[in-house]
Amino acid sequence: MTETTEKNMLLALFEDVDPAAHAVDKLRTLGLDNEHVNVISGTPITEAMLGRPHQKTNIPRMAMAGATGGLLVGIFFAFGTPALYPVYVGGQPLFAVPPSVVVMFELTMLGIMISTFLGVFLDSHFPSYGPKVYVPEISDGYIALLIDCPEEQEDEVKKAMTEVGAASVKYAEVQAL
Amino acid sequence: MSVLAKPLAGAHAHEEHDHEAELRKENLLLDPKPRGEMNAMVMDMMGGTTWKFWLVAAIMGALVLWGVFYSWGVMIIEGLGIAGVNQPVYWGLFLVHTVFWIGISHAGTFVSALLRVFKAEFRRPFTRAAELMTTFALAQAGIMIFAHMGRVWLAYWMFPLPNQRQLWTNFHSPLMWDFLAINTYLLSSTMYLYLPLIPDLAMARDRSTGWRKKVYSIMALGWRGTEGEWTHLRTALNIFAFAILPIMFSVHTIVSWDFAVATRPFWNSTIFGPYFVVGAIHSGVAAVAMVLVVLRATIRNMDYFLRPQHFDILGKLILIISMAWAYFFFNDLMVQWYGGDKWTSELLHFHEAGKWGWIWFLMLICNVAIPWLTLWNKKIRRSPWLLFTIGLLINVGMWAERFIIVPVSLAINRTPFRWGDYEAGVEVPIFIGSLALFILLYMLASRILPLVPVWEVQEGQMAHSIRRYGKEPVVTVSDLE
Repeated sequence: MTETTEKNMLLALFEDVDPAAHAVDKLRTLGLDNEHVNVISGTPITEAMLGRPHQKTNIPRMAMAGATGGLLVGIFFAFGTPALYPVYVGGQPLFAVPPSVVVMFELTMLGIMISTFLGVFLDSHFPSYGPKVYVPEISDGYIALLIDCPEEQEDEVKKAMTEVGAASVKYAEVQAL
Repeated sequence: MSVLAKPLAGAHAHEEHDHEAELRKENLLLDPKPRGEMNAMVMDMMGGTTWKFWLVAAIMGALVLWGVFYSWGVMIIEGLGIAGVNQPVYWGLFLVHTVFWIGISHAGTFVSALLRVFKAEFRRPFTRAAELMTTFALAQAGIMIFAHMGRVWLAYWMFPLPNQRQLWTNFHSPLMWDFLAINTYLLSSTMYLYLPLIPDLAMARDRSTGWRKKVYSIMALGWRGTEGEWTHLRTALNIFAFAILPIMFSVHTIVSWDFAVATRPFWNSTIFGPYFVVGAIHSGVAAVAMVLVVLRATIRNMDYFLRPQHFDILGKLILIISMAWAYFFFNDLMVQWYGGDKWTSELLHFHEAGKWGWIWFLMLICNVAIPWLTLWNKKIRRSPWLLFTIGLLINVGMWAERFIIVPVSLAINRTPFRWGDYEAGVEVPIFIGSLALFILLYMLASRILPLVPVWEVQEGQMAHSIRRYGKEPVVTVSDLE
C-alpha cells in the first residue's frame, strides 16, 4: 500500500555516486540547499562523497554516559554490596582493589556496549514501522535523493535531475516498512 | 622488425589482460556484480532447502534431545554424581568444554572486530559467519557452566539479589568474574552481530513475502538507509569494534584466572592469561576456516563470496597463531620445569608420561607439528578440504590442551594420598548434544539470516580498483570511511 507524501516531494534515483553528487550540486544552483534534500542509499555513501554536511550523532556521548553508568554500577557491586551485606571469606578483606578492578572493568565495558546499541535506536528513532518514503530499489544499490521543492519548481528540478543522469524522477511515495 | 614486434606486443597485452583477469578472479572485491544480483544470490542462499538439509537437521535435533535434554535431565534428577567428577578431579569435561566453547567464540570477535579495526579488507564476506559462531558458541559454553553447577535451579544465587539467607554474591570470586565477563561478552557479541545485520535485513524485507517479510520487517526496525542512519550505524560499529576487543581479551584471561589464582602446581602461572587468549584465538580461527569450508561447499552462490584467497589468508593466520601458541606453551613449560618445585615437576612428568601422556603428545602434534608442516604451503592453504582437516585437527589439539589443564592436572596434587583418576560420565552425551545444538543453530540461522553482509561487500568493492603502475596492474584500495 503506497501513497504520495502529504506535500509532493520528488524522489530521484541514481545508479552511481557521481551523478548523485552532480545532482546535489545542481540542486544547490537551483536554490535547494542541504535541508531540502535527503539522501537514502543501500550502501554507506559518506557525506563527503556527495559534498554534503557531516551528519551529527550522539552515539559517542551516549557511549561515554554508558561507561560512566557501568563504572558506577561496578563500584557499587565491588564496594557497595560488601558494605551492605558483609560476607567474610577465609579472613580475606571485604574491600580489595585488584578483584574489584575486574568487576568495574566488565561493567564499564557492558555500559559502553549497551548504551552504544541503544544509541543507534534512539538516534535513528528505531523501531519505526510507520509509512515512510522508500522504494525497494534503494537496497538494490540505487541512491535516492528525496527533494523537497516548491510546486512551481518541480518541472525544473525533474529536468535537471534527468540531465545529470537520474535513472528515474517521480513523486515520492510513502509505504509501510 | 615490425613483423616481430607485433606478436610480441600482442602477447604482452594478452599477458597484462590475463594478470588483471587473475586478480579479479582471485579477489572478490575486484570482481563486483550489480548489487541487485548480489542481493538475489544472498536471498537464494536462504531459500530452496533440500531434503539433505532437513535430514541433517533432524539428526542434529535428535542428538540435542538426547544429549542436552534427556542426559542433562537425567543428571538433574539423579544428581551430579552420575558425572565423572569426584575428588580430587572436581572439574572435569564440563569445564574443559566451557573453555573449549569460549575459545571457539573468540573467532567472531577476532575476525570481525580486530580485522575491522585494522581495515583488513578480506574480512568482508565472512564477518557475519564468524560473528554467528561467537554467539552460538557462547550459548554452548553457558550450557556447560549450568550443567557443571549441578543444582542448576539455584543459578539465580549468582545474581546480586538481597535475600533472607544472608548469602551474598562474592564479587571477589573468580567465578563471579566469569559470570560477569561471559555475560558481557555474550550480550556485546549479540549486539555486534545484530547491528550490521540491520541493512541486510531491510534488503531481505524488500525481497520477501509472507512470514519472512513480517519477520524481516520487524527485525529491520524500519531501516531505510538515510544518511543519519548510516552515520549512527558506522559510529556504533567503530565503537563496538574497539570496545569488544578488550572484552574478548578479558573473557579468556578471566577464564584462565579460574585456574591461575589457585595455588596449585602448574595452574598458578602468571602467563596463563595470554596463553589462554592465544589458545582461544587458535581454536577459534581454525573453527572459522572449518565453517567457511562447509558453507562454501553446501550453500548455493557461496563460491562467489568465499574464494581460495580467503582460505589462503586464514591459513597464514592459523600458522602465525600456532607459532604464538607454541611460544606461550613453551614459555610456561620452561619456567615451571626450571622452577624445580617437586609437585610441579611430578605433575609435568605425569602430563607427558602418565596415563594421559598420549593426549599431551596429541596436543603438540595437532597444535604445532601439523600447522607448521603444512600451512607454509600455498597449495595446501588454498585447498578448502585440506584446510578444513587442519582446522579440525587444531581443534582436537586445543581440546586436548584443555583436557590436560583441567582433569589431568587435578589428578596430581601436593597430597599424594589424594591423587586420583577421572573417567567421564554424562559429560560426554551432554557435549555431543551441545555440539549438535551449535550445528543446528547455525543451520537454521543460515536459512533465516543473510550470511553474507552484502552492503559491506559492496562497500569493499566500491573501494577497490585496479590501476596501472607502468605496465603492471596493481590493486588499489581507497579508504571510504
